[in-house]
Amino acid sequence: MFRLLFARRADWAAFTIACVLSLSLMTLGRGQQARAIWFVQHTLLAPVNAIVGWVDAGVGLYWEDQKLRKHLAQVQIEADAMRSERLENARLRRLLALSQENPNELTAARVTARSLDRLGGSITIDKGSKDGVLPNRAVITPEGLIGRVEQAEPHEARVLTLLHHDCAVAVRVGRSRVDGVLQWEFGERPILNLLYVSSQEDVKVGDLVLTSGLGGIFPEGVRVGVVSRVGIAENGLMKEVQVKPAVDFRSLEEVLVYMPAGAGRGPRMPAVETSAPDSSGSDSTAAGSAR
Amino acid sequence: MRGFRDAFVLIAVLILQATLVHRIAIAGVRPDLLVAFVVYFAWMRGPVSGVVAGFSVGLLQDMDAPGPLGLNALAKTVVGFLVAKAGFRVHRANVGVRFFFFLTAMLVHDVIYFAVYTAGEFGAFVRQFLFVAIPSAFYTTVLVLLLLSTVERFSRTLLLTDEV
Repeated sequence: MFRLLFARRADWAAFTIACVLSLSLMTLGRGQQARAIWFVQHTLLAPVNAIVGWVDAGVGLYWEDQKLRKHLAQVQIEADAMRSERLENARLRRLLALSQENPNELTAARVTARSLDRLGGSITIDKGSKDGVLPNRAVITPEGLIGRVEQAEPHEARVLTLLHHDCAVAVRVGRSRVDGVLQWEFGERPILNLLYVSSQEDVKVGDLVLTSGLGGIFPEGVRVGVVSRVGIAENGLMKEVQVKPAVDFRSLEEVLVYMPAGAGRGPRMPAVETSAPDSSGSDSTAAGSAR
Repeated sequence: MRGFRDAFVLIAVLILQATLVHRIAIAGVRPDLLVAFVVYFAWMRGPVSGVVAGFSVGLLQDMDAPGPLGLNALAKTVVGFLVAKAGFRVHRANVGVRFFFFLTAMLVHDVIYFAVYTAGEFGAFVRQFLFVAIPSAFYTTVLVLLLLSTVERFSRTLLLTDEV
């Protein structure tokens, strides 16, 4: 009869037995439960535990590897940021040193935009007329002359760099005191030309070119660049002089705006030679002579 | 052959539960693949197999559970039996039906489990049910449906079914 009942109602019988067993286990004391668990874990489940432990170690290694890779990437990003900040710090220190040597004459500004054209003839800075930055103020860096303010808004200003045709600068060759006008010229190879230099004048490759202060916009004695090529014009009357700018215009981030207090004498730049050290035969004169 | 296949799937689920689940927890919510296994096994095989699987898997889980020995076995036995009885005539490949079955079965399992575990303390039961049972049931259901669809894409038949 029991067998017949079990055959017909096998599902209910299995369910009842399982429930009774479960409830029986639950009513066991804690000590008995612990002993039963210990027995099952150390006999029946030992192989399963071994497999699980082995797989867990493998999965754990993979997970650890992924985590470490992610951490390494983050550390790399932080290291790059710190390196960038260190370089910025060095630049700012140089700017600070320059502005401390010229109190009330220089205002630091940050470059906020560059001209969209590939030649990069202008930049925008974050100081404007509210900060005293007015048109035709000279803009420099510790390396040398950048250009002049063309247009000033209350909180920003547009600066024409030396690489702009409208930014001509009256300059002087530091060693021989030869005057000329420096102007960017667009041609097959855009260059800075030193104009109006007679063929009789003494200009050599490696000579330092400084602002002359003539014209009243740029202060005297600011480094502009180095003579990179000297030739004679076709008519034989004038020299063709090319100048390599002292500033790398592609990497400008901070600049100083010159705010003249009265005299037209330029800011005291870090000490420089008036001709490049490798220009043989040229007379080297201290930068002080140019100031 | 069928026994080997079932054992293989069970061992795979056990290994996944032991090694992977705590690593894919979202805000502390872990899926319970063992309940899902019991639900699916009972659904595919019928009440007796469901009860046996529920009791065995539950007992296995009780070995490492904080609750009293037999609690998981009881909860999974009941779930296995109910799912097998209720799911006898429903369309087992339909995603919506699967979602409903898994979710409801897991919630029923957790109602039994937490009702006993919290020893009738209503506040604790509600808290456990709201913050553990419901999120875990949803997480498990979605995960299992994804796993099943992935496996069945290759096998062409329903996993663990008798209709081979």
